[in-house]
Amino acid sequence: MNEELKLVITSSPHLRDEITVPWIMRQVVLALLPATIWGIYFFGVSSTLLTILLSVGSTMGFEALNCKIFKKPLSITDGSAVITGLLLGLSLPPSAPFWLPLVGGGAAIFLGKEMFGGLGQNIFNPALVGRAVLLVSWPKAMSTWWVSAPFGFSGFSGGGAASTFSGVEMVTTPTPLSIAQMYGYSSLHQADPRILWRLFVGQVPGSIGEISALLLLIGFVYLWWRGVVHWDIPLSYFVGLSCVAILGGQSALFHILSGGAIMGACFMATDYVTSPISSKGRYIFGLGAGAITGVIRLLGAYPEGVTFGILTMNALVPFLDYLLPPRFGVKNQMVKEEKI
Amino acid sequence: MRLNTFPGGIHSPTFKEFTATKPIKEFPFPSRVVLPLLQHTGAPLSPLVKKGDRVKRGQKIADVEAFISAPLHSPLAGKVAGIEDYFHPLLGRFPALTIENDGSGEEERKDPLCDIENKDPAFLREWIREGGMVGLGGAAFPTHVKVSPPPGKKIDTFILNGAECEPYLTCDYRVMIERSSAILIGLRVLVKACGAERVFIGIEENKIEAIEKFDKLVKDLPFPARVVPLLTKYPQGSEKQLIVAILGREVPPGGLPLDVGVVVNNVQTAWAVGRMAEEGLPLIERVITLSGECLKSPENLQVPLGTVLSDLVDFCGGWVETPKKVIMGGPMMGVAQTSLQVPVVKGTSGFVFLSNLYEKKEYPCIRCRRCIDACPMRLFPTMLGKFSEYQAFDEARDQRVLDCMECGACSYVCPSNISLTHLIRLAKAEVMRRSRKGGNQ
Repeated sequence: MNEELKLVITSSPHLRDEITVPWIMRQVVLALLPATIWGIYFFGVSSTLLTILLSVGSTMGFEALNCKIFKKPLSITDGSAVITGLLLGLSLPPSAPFWLPLVGGGAAIFLGKEMFGGLGQNIFNPALVGRAVLLVSWPKAMSTWWVSAPFGFSGFSGGGAASTFSGVEMVTTPTPLSIAQMYGYSSLHQADPRILWRLFVGQVPGSIGEISALLLLIGFVYLWWRGVVHWDIPLSYFVGLSCVAILGGQSALFHILSGGAIMGACFMATDYVTSPISSKGRYIFGLGAGAITGVIRLLGAYPEGVTFGILTMNALVPFLDYLLPPRFGVKNQMVKEEKI
Repeated sequence: MRLNTFPGGIHSPTFKEFTATKPIKEFPFPSRVVLPLLQHTGAPLSPLVKKGDRVKRGQKIADVEAFISAPLHSPLAGKVAGIEDYFHPLLGRFPALTIENDGSGEEERKDPLCDIENKDPAFLREWIREGGMVGLGGAAFPTHVKVSPPPGKKIDTFILNGAECEPYLTCDYRVMIERSSAILIGLRVLVKACGAERVFIGIEENKIEAIEKFDKLVKDLPFPARVVPLLTKYPQGSEKQLIVAILGREVPPGGLPLDVGVVVNNVQTAWAVGRMAEEGLPLIERVITLSGECLKSPENLQVPLGTVLSDLVDFCGGWVETPKKVIMGGPMMGVAQTSLQVPVVKGTSGFVFLSNLYEKKEYPCIRCRRCIDACPMRLFPTMLGKFSEYQAFDEARDQRVLDCMECGACSYVCPSNISLTHLIRLAKAEVMRRSRKGGNQ
């Protein structure tokens, strides 16, 4: 056996796992699909599908444009832009004007991601950056909820304006959070005693993809089962939010189920790039994001605080990353001594 | 079955089906062997013979004064054909003794060791060193050093390592099944030499036959001993992780198992020691696995040290596929080889021949934490990798880069296919270079 072989020389290890970045991104998109489909069904195709498609299209388009401008290899195949676009689209109100997702997608990709150096480099969750830009620039457009008539809330101001989209009768309606902010949670509960159940299954208007807590949680459990996400951040997020809600004398469950809390905790705060890598840091991150969300909801000018809660904690991630676990072998723990 | 394990690690395919059921075959004496003068972790040896000398099988042919070293013995009877640089599986090239087989089969055997339990530990340690014993799990650390507790330190536990967590390798498994009585004799010598009071035998649960076998055999030992079934997980056979799995003790940074009162030895080391006690032959042969999809007939072989790889490949019937990569050791920590002319050294646990190399696109780090969850040393490989890339070596040192044992779990799991282990290896080398210089240059 003396024939010459052409041998590849690399350093160890010589095996690799099958999981790749695009696979992970596909799992996230899959996990969001149930909530997406429910949103489209609930609000109607005409007032949702275009928003979602424009949002995904604009994030992908802007990322491709960015690659072209800065002469980088085309990076949309990694799938991260699709998720950014999907998350942004799902966080917009139904029947949003067409330019809203376009502007949001541009802000998400350029301001939120590429200005920091692209995938893996950004400090802030791109989808939330896009959403934040829209929230502060067009608060009216971002908080007007056109829904088909039977699903709205009647009896509260904000409901009432009617219009017709593509032949479907539509009304504007306030979200439960804005009702709670204006009239208090008890009045909301009086108006609809089954509000928590309806929020859980997704029969209360809200942003397109955020209405069904159940379907979002199913998606999250799928991701957890696939080993894509961990439950530490969502759990601590809910704990932080609940604490503030209880301190403010409101129902913790209502705050978890309403608005974008589930979407934020399970899909936005858990974003790999913008959440801490250290285990301790992740609990602090989740607690902080949940608590700030609650404070904004109770005391702030906006009815919803998920966006700014998570973005604030995103800024602390470089610091939280350094909370390493105890060094191996430094504290010589004799914990589970085996016996013969 | 309750299974012990350690936190972190990875579940990779084991690929052990190629050879797990193949009994050990004894490789016939080759026409020549090449014996590098460094086959262990420690000081290089000086030859005790010169070109043209006749040597017997089992005769000591190289040694050195240093404590951390182990002498070398001739695996063949024959003539010293030369002492010159030759391929070395780990060091590229290194001075080596070449011995040509003269077919006489002359042997030099030591007296068998009896009455082990009444021997003086210091005598046994010297006896082990004279046998050229090193750890046969792969690191080749001299065995007499491992069983020498520093003054004032008490060894309470001896762990026999039968985990064999590297994919493809089955040599330890076969040795456990087929050479179990010699293992037990070696175990008694090693336990007496280090003064341990009790013994655990750690075996991964995918080697059920070995677990059952030793479960029965340990009852006859003159000290308390028990088999501990371990979860099949890489790197379960790493010394520090094995101690965590069985005792929950963590070896301090830069320390040895001795620092937590433990001695760990590989099953094949115990076999080699036991064989010397029974037959008087020093460490001149070992069992290795030849595996991978390229070999016509993958085997577990008992081979003389110094056998050249190309002879082994011929024995296994050559290729069914041309290999693209030849690895000494397992695919996780093994070293890619440049040539089939490399000899088997004491630390060779096998050779793996691969043709289907992974193809995985590289992406930027997405901070998914998979490397952190996989790291058995509680490091943040992604962070260390970035420090290495940006040459921030002081930061890497502060974030414990030297704790890394290069098990490769981080590179294995990385969905972005970043060669984290390699980056960390570079950082470790640089941090060690700087600390040797004593400054931050």
